[in-house]
Amino acid sequence: MIHVEIAGETLFTIAGFAVTNSMVGAVLAALLLLLGAWYVTSRSALIPSRMQSLLELPVEWMAGIVEGSTSRWRSYVGLVIALFLMILVANWLGLLPGVGTIGIYHEVDGHEVLTPLVRPAGADLNFTLGLAIITFVVFVWWGVRVNGPVGYLKELVGEPRYMAPLMFPIHLISELSRLVSLSMRLFGNVFAGEVLIATMLALTTATLFVIPLAFFVPAIFLGLELLFGAVQAMVFALLTMTYITMAIAEHGGENAADEDAHGHLDTEPDSHPAASPA
Amino acid sequence: MGLEQGSDGGDGGKPAEGRRTAKMGIAFDLGVRLGVSVVIGLGGGLLLDSWLDTSPIFTLIGMVLGIGAAMYTIWDVAHDAMRK
Repeated sequence: MIHVEIAGETLFTIAGFAVTNSMVGAVLAALLLLLGAWYVTSRSALIPSRMQSLLELPVEWMAGIVEGSTSRWRSYVGLVIALFLMILVANWLGLLPGVGTIGIYHEVDGHEVLTPLVRPAGADLNFTLGLAIITFVVFVWWGVRVNGPVGYLKELVGEPRYMAPLMFPIHLISELSRLVSLSMRLFGNVFAGEVLIATMLALTTATLFVIPLAFFVPAIFLGLELLFGAVQAMVFALLTMTYITMAIAEHGGENAADEDAHGHLDTEPDSHPAASPA
Repeated sequence: MGLEQGSDGGDGGKPAEGRRTAKMGIAFDLGVRLGVSVVIGLGGGLLLDSWLDTSPIFTLIGMVLGIGAAMYTIWDVAHDAMRK
């Protein structure tokens, strides 16, 4: 029987705090990233080894894209790369053998149902919503920083002022739609991938089919999931970059940044002459 | 690495590439945001109606605002693309 839960399943509780299998997936992805970061930083060389080149490749690629967005790219490149890598590793983790297949059996409505010990983090809306909230807070913060709090509110109210009762809720819905679309797109794609693979495995391992089919058909879909996982990570990271770029570039924010930038950030205290001791 | 050696976005092909990629991102997003805007408006209206027991006033208002927000999103994206 095909059984795929929409919500993450609770494995155990710590002081009333439920630990779900998707949380285990997220922690494993974070640990893998930490391990990769430790490996690169501890053995980095001017002439990189193959492994170092491989680990640096996604970082350099994403940094190259973000670099051209605005003159303040250094302020948010870390966030965009972190989101990309986290989502990529979390998505690909779900394709490893044992993830979603090793777990604890329990009975639901007279059927034996498996609760996997690890589930891809992206297949849980809590994870994708959490990432989307981070993105939302950052681009709203950039909007407030560039326009000022009053300027940002004026943006939401819109022009002319007498249209405010109509335009304010429209602007508010439009802003909120970014949050919802970011989280739902990632969740929908990863969860649909999980269901698809589970369905294909169940269909091809049924007695009706011949054995080779049970190997080749899921392999095709696993390959596709490898591609979709990377595409979804890229889309999430690119949209984060786009939203921040729009928040900065609107209303001449980028021009203002150009005047003081040239490699310096106003988030770096040392970049301001006033910040340095006299 | 690119992080240390990169330009500040003020020269060469990198800025153009970055902006092209940003526009691609907006295209990815536009379709979903249209639907989501209507759902948020409609859902908010339904919630308000069930809370205040005023059905179907806020549902209709929410739906109109949601459709308005979807249209505004298209206008905003088009306006942004024209400006650049």
